[in-house]
Amino acid sequence: MKGRDTILSIRDLEVTFKVRDRQLKAIRRISFDLYRGETLAIVGESGSGKSVLMKSLTGMLESNGTVSGGSIRFFGEELAQKKKPREWESIRGAKIATVFQDPMTSLNPVRTIGSQIVEVMMKHQRCSRKRAKQLAIELMERVGISEAAERFDAYPHEYSGGMRQRIVIAIALACRPQILICDEPTTALDVTVQAQILNLIKQLQQEEGFTTIYITHDLGVVANVADRVAVMYAGQIVEYGEVEEIFYESAHPYTWALLSSLPQLGQKGERLFSLHGTPPSLYHDIVGDAFAPRNQYAMRIDFEEEPPFFEITPTHYAKTWLCDPRVPFFKRPKAIEGLHQKMVMIYQGGNVSGNREERSFSFNSRS
Amino acid sequence: MRRYLIKRFLRSLLSIFIVMTIVFTLVYSVVPRDRVFFSDVNIEKLQKRPDDYLNYKYIQWEKLGYLKYETIQDYCRGLYGDANGEYVRCLLPDSSETKEFVSSKQEEGWEVSFFEESGQAYSFEEISPLKRALNWWANLIQIDSPNRVKSEEATLKRQIYVGKDFNDRLALMCSGCENKYLIYFDQKFPFIHQNIVKLNLGVSYPTYSGQEVLEVITSSQGEKVKQELKEPINGQEASSINYYTCRYKETLDALEKKNFSDHYADCDAIRTDPSMMKISFIMGFISLVLTYVIGLPLGVYMARHQGRWGDRLGQWYIIFMNAIPGLAYIVFIRFIGGKYFGLPSMFPMLGAEDPRSYILPILSLTLGATASRMMWMRRYMIDQSQMDYVKFARAKGLSEREIFSKHIFRNAIIPMVHGIPAAIIFCISGALITEGVYGIPGMGKILPDSISIYNNSMVVGLTFIFTTLSILSTFLGDWLLTKIDPRIRLEDKGGN
Repeated sequence: MKGRDTILSIRDLEVTFKVRDRQLKAIRRISFDLYRGETLAIVGESGSGKSVLMKSLTGMLESNGTVSGGSIRFFGEELAQKKKPREWESIRGAKIATVFQDPMTSLNPVRTIGSQIVEVMMKHQRCSRKRAKQLAIELMERVGISEAAERFDAYPHEYSGGMRQRIVIAIALACRPQILICDEPTTALDVTVQAQILNLIKQLQQEEGFTTIYITHDLGVVANVADRVAVMYAGQIVEYGEVEEIFYESAHPYTWALLSSLPQLGQKGERLFSLHGTPPSLYHDIVGDAFAPRNQYAMRIDFEEEPPFFEITPTHYAKTWLCDPRVPFFKRPKAIEGLHQKMVMIYQGGNVSGNREERSFSFNSRS
Repeated sequence: MRRYLIKRFLRSLLSIFIVMTIVFTLVYSVVPRDRVFFSDVNIEKLQKRPDDYLNYKYIQWEKLGYLKYETIQDYCRGLYGDANGEYVRCLLPDSSETKEFVSSKQEEGWEVSFFEESGQAYSFEEISPLKRALNWWANLIQIDSPNRVKSEEATLKRQIYVGKDFNDRLALMCSGCENKYLIYFDQKFPFIHQNIVKLNLGVSYPTYSGQEVLEVITSSQGEKVKQELKEPINGQEASSINYYTCRYKETLDALEKKNFSDHYADCDAIRTDPSMMKISFIMGFISLVLTYVIGLPLGVYMARHQGRWGDRLGQWYIIFMNAIPGLAYIVFIRFIGGKYFGLPSMFPMLGAEDPRSYILPILSLTLGATASRMMWMRRYMIDQSQMDYVKFARAKGLSEREIFSKHIFRNAIIPMVHGIPAAIIFCISGALITEGVYGIPGMGKILPDSISIYNNSMVVGLTFIFTTLSILSTFLGDWLLTKIDPRIRLEDKGGN
């Protein structure tokens, strides 16, 4: 499907926060590779560490957080060793750019849109102000701002939410980064605009060939845009694979729980699935599988020993003892049975927000 | 924008009007009117002469506008003129004129009474505070014109003309007006001056007795100084008369007749010290500039290095300056400056001419105010640095210095700027404690003093000045905001 050209390689990454003299391990030995040109979606509930993981890629951890172990290799550079803000300036914005959740607050309210695009171009590409302005107007047009030259000197409050997110994307892409991190880029937008923004990112990705990482808990977005999916729980990746593998052949009980709670799968009159319990406290070392206390399939070993990654296919791995060949037969939850057909039906039925054709296309082409 | 401005202007006028009317009514109805004599030095001499004592009181009350007052003396003078047998006879309590006087006044609704010793008649009519307030408003703005002077002298020409003043500079002059010079030029800022339009805020009493309120706070103080100038009559001479301020005077005494060629002989003197308002403004303004120039960068520095030793030191300073009373550190500064740096510890020691007089007072004003500027600047900076756009700016790869100077500062300065016009304008209101400690003849204590000695017209006049200025400065602050915050516009409705 893709040339397996690794541009970012994370090995045994650990991130620790110091909270009132206690150590909180937000990321617990994560390893994964990012391939050039792909779209990776990282999903998981709040507090699972997705945002922390992404912040550690750009050195934007809060001041009480540090990368306490492991490595992040990016084009032969070791990002995990960078400590000072100055060392990050050549990476952030220039090579790894980030789009945040809320376009309403991502732009400085008292400076013009133009100046906010121009400053990043002048910073990283070292071009003159005049040239930067020309480039910025071109870029604004590319992200779909009509009459860009006239709107160059407008202020953020004169733009709508969708237009602001387009500008945020334009700023992020101003220096042709290799990696674009989208931290829930559409959560704050209304549904019709969501699809436009996702399509815009997709289209720009095809043109520019950058790699995208989505952080989201909206599985609809994942199905729409991702090539690969990584599921996170309690500071670890518990399952990763191609998007079809995660949706249709998922192997980890936490992934099952996530999928089961998709509102689109709910039947009228039935209670929607919800996962009981809370994630474990990350202040303590976790013995066994972190998900075990909430796992209805938990076995004794889940409480005693941490499971390794089991290979299901060469692209699909799951970190659960259920994949061990010694496990006796068990039945997967009913909700995710025949998920493929259900999803196809739902998206073709068109009762889901967003761009219907786009979504059904992404599923049919792969089935 | 224009509609908004007009509406706002009308609203401002209305608020000033309401405030003034309330204050006026309160001051003149709640404060017993006998109180105004508490600090009058003249009245003690009259204690033993009950007629003169009473007469003096009524005359003062009339001057202050409490009532209208008329005696049989006025009545008889109108009939027979002064100092003749008819007049003296007319004053007697059983004269026919007294009966006429009493009955006519009673008809008009005045109260009539008789002096204790002489038995002469007098009458008065109260004026209600509300009516007085309206009168005050009606006489607030006075415009000078050639028909202003009420003189019996037929030779007085009534005209406005362009002439040369005693310095041979062109001036717009007038004969028949209250002032001789309507518009004139000199070397003092703002170089062109006028005497045409004047605010009449009332007459001060008992302190600065007889002076107009505005004059009390705006005319120079201290010793008279003589300057070389070309006098109209005597030629080149050293004189302390400020000829530009000369007003019409009906009867001249012998000395004035020697010095003045016409009736404009009621002149102010040139004095050593600037006016109360000016002296307070000079010190307030310099200290304000220093406060911002020092306070803002320090606040920014503290926010940038939050939690480090520089920030901690700054915080200690802020807490210290806020915790100890102003008087304590002002006295301390005065002590240190006087003892170890040889600076004058009292303002009058070297006087207003010497720049050294200003150093310690300005330092005292600045140190305290700087602490609060630092605190707010730091707060706004830290507040803004938590915002999402800062996170995004960081993700763009901007350095911390760029983020602070280009993004956070621009947002944090907005609330600071709003207060600047008010801070500048209110420099004229002076500083109570500092001026008290150094003995500075400024504006700081004029209002509290006026209140404590029942100088009611002063209280009313100052209230008017401060109310108007505070409304003006709020407006200027809002206007300034529109210049630095693109989201804010002065519009009636709409805008976002």
